[in-house]
Amino acid sequence: MSEPEITKIEVGDGAAIPRPEDKGLVSAWWIALFGAIALLVFLPWYKPDPYLNILRFVPDGIIVTFEVTVFSISLAIVIGLLTGLGRLSRNRFINLIASLYVEVVRGIPLLVQLFYIYYALGRFVRVPDLVAAVIAMAFCYGAYMGEVFRAGIKSIDSGQTEASLSLGFNHRQTMAYVILPQAWRTILPPVGNEFIALLKDTSLVSILAVADILRRGREYASESFNYFETYTMIALIYLLITLVLSKLISIMEHRLSHYERR
Amino acid sequence: MNAADPIIRLQHINKFFGAFKALSDVSLDIKSGEKVVVLGPSGSGKSTLLRTVNRLESIDSGTIIVDGHNLYDPGEDINRIRMEVGMVFQSFNLFRHKSVLENLTLAPIKLKKMDRDQAETLALALLDKVGMRDRATHFPIQLSGGQQQRVAIARALAMEPKIMLFDEPTSALDPEMINEVLEVMITLAREGMTMLVVTHEMGFAREVADKVVFMDAGAVVEVAKPMEFFTNPQNPRSQLFLRQILAPATR
Repeated sequence: MSEPEITKIEVGDGAAIPRPEDKGLVSAWWIALFGAIALLVFLPWYKPDPYLNILRFVPDGIIVTFEVTVFSISLAIVIGLLTGLGRLSRNRFINLIASLYVEVVRGIPLLVQLFYIYYALGRFVRVPDLVAAVIAMAFCYGAYMGEVFRAGIKSIDSGQTEASLSLGFNHRQTMAYVILPQAWRTILPPVGNEFIALLKDTSLVSILAVADILRRGREYASESFNYFETYTMIALIYLLITLVLSKLISIMEHRLSHYERR
Repeated sequence: MNAADPIIRLQHINKFFGAFKALSDVSLDIKSGEKVVVLGPSGSGKSTLLRTVNRLESIDSGTIIVDGHNLYDPGEDINRIRMEVGMVFQSFNLFRHKSVLENLTLAPIKLKKMDRDQAETLALALLDKVGMRDRATHFPIQLSGGQQQRVAIARALAMEPKIMLFDEPTSALDPEMINEVLEVMITLAREGMTMLVVTHEMGFAREVADKVVFMDAGAVVEVAKPMEFFTNPQNPRSQLFLRQILAPATR
């Protein structure tokens, strides 16, 4: 069975991770960071009503956004690992199931999946909105994560597998002791990218009555009619979060490559 | 199993890569303690043959018996058989995320349930044997090719195998590192290890081999004692091969 070759997984809408060698991106990162912080400080000081009020109202949502993001990415990593292994499985049935899952998820917009899983779950069990949102996000991102894991595992030289098998390890032990410990270094940076992409996509769960940053903003705006001011602050908050996260991930990535080179 | 029975017996092995016949009716017996060197031009199927002996390569027909086990019998536990058969690769294939010592202890600890102290004692003794004890805490990437290959040999020995397979162990090495690896292999041969070696090192074949197997186009063309093979090859293809590899030296 021939599969489409995926050598590198790029998340198109992930925040750009600045690398030290890319001077343009690095300075853009600093300008964006200081710009966002300056506006987030200046506007509430200059015009407390509504900007300071918005800043007082929205932070509850930041916690919810992080909750959804962290739970979703954790579940997505588990699903992704299983999917990646499934896509590489020599068992045709498992391979087919995993591939089918990836194809289906990739073919349906995230927003539609969110609605679908939310209402489909609702027909059988009553779960809190937050749980439904996490399951839906993880279901979608698990497929993308599966491709990341698959690419990471495939990036390990087949000689490593052969050496392990020749010592007497079976395929499962080879994966656990030899392949995955090496693959995670390749996998971690794209997982970081997915984390940022997922964090931004959690804004979609605001339509499922989950009180994330965007939902809190909408609540404020619809009461005060300060739509422009509210969404300005919302955008700045998201920007600040993703800028900081992308920097953290790039530091982590740098440390990892350093470890590899020692 | 009778003591006189060969420890490795290949009978009528055929293997195809698509339409290409990689192995053609290959039969070969290797007795316990015997050192067999497989020679032949590239693409002659020597490495493929070697790799069938621990089932890293499938076969299309024939039987392979290793230490009394029928290798391609679905009822056999291939992993147990592989524990008895060490393998050394052209590209070393040390575990890049493990230190030299961990490369040696991983399999004994996980597969033989050896306790860590015992495994490390064994590993250090083996590293001593291949002259790498002082590099126990290094990572593979910090070692030269020759050093990596010596560690790779020690890693295979850590499972205390009955048979060692060598798949062109010096072909990826810079010339000045070839001897340090060959010396380790010669020591191993002197200690009585059963060895099946695919190599281009004629000096090694001459010095160590009990018999030389010459392959061409997937078939065993000639089996002879090294003295006879190098001085008086019988088959025209062996003669041509020896003329080609020895030509520059005699000029």
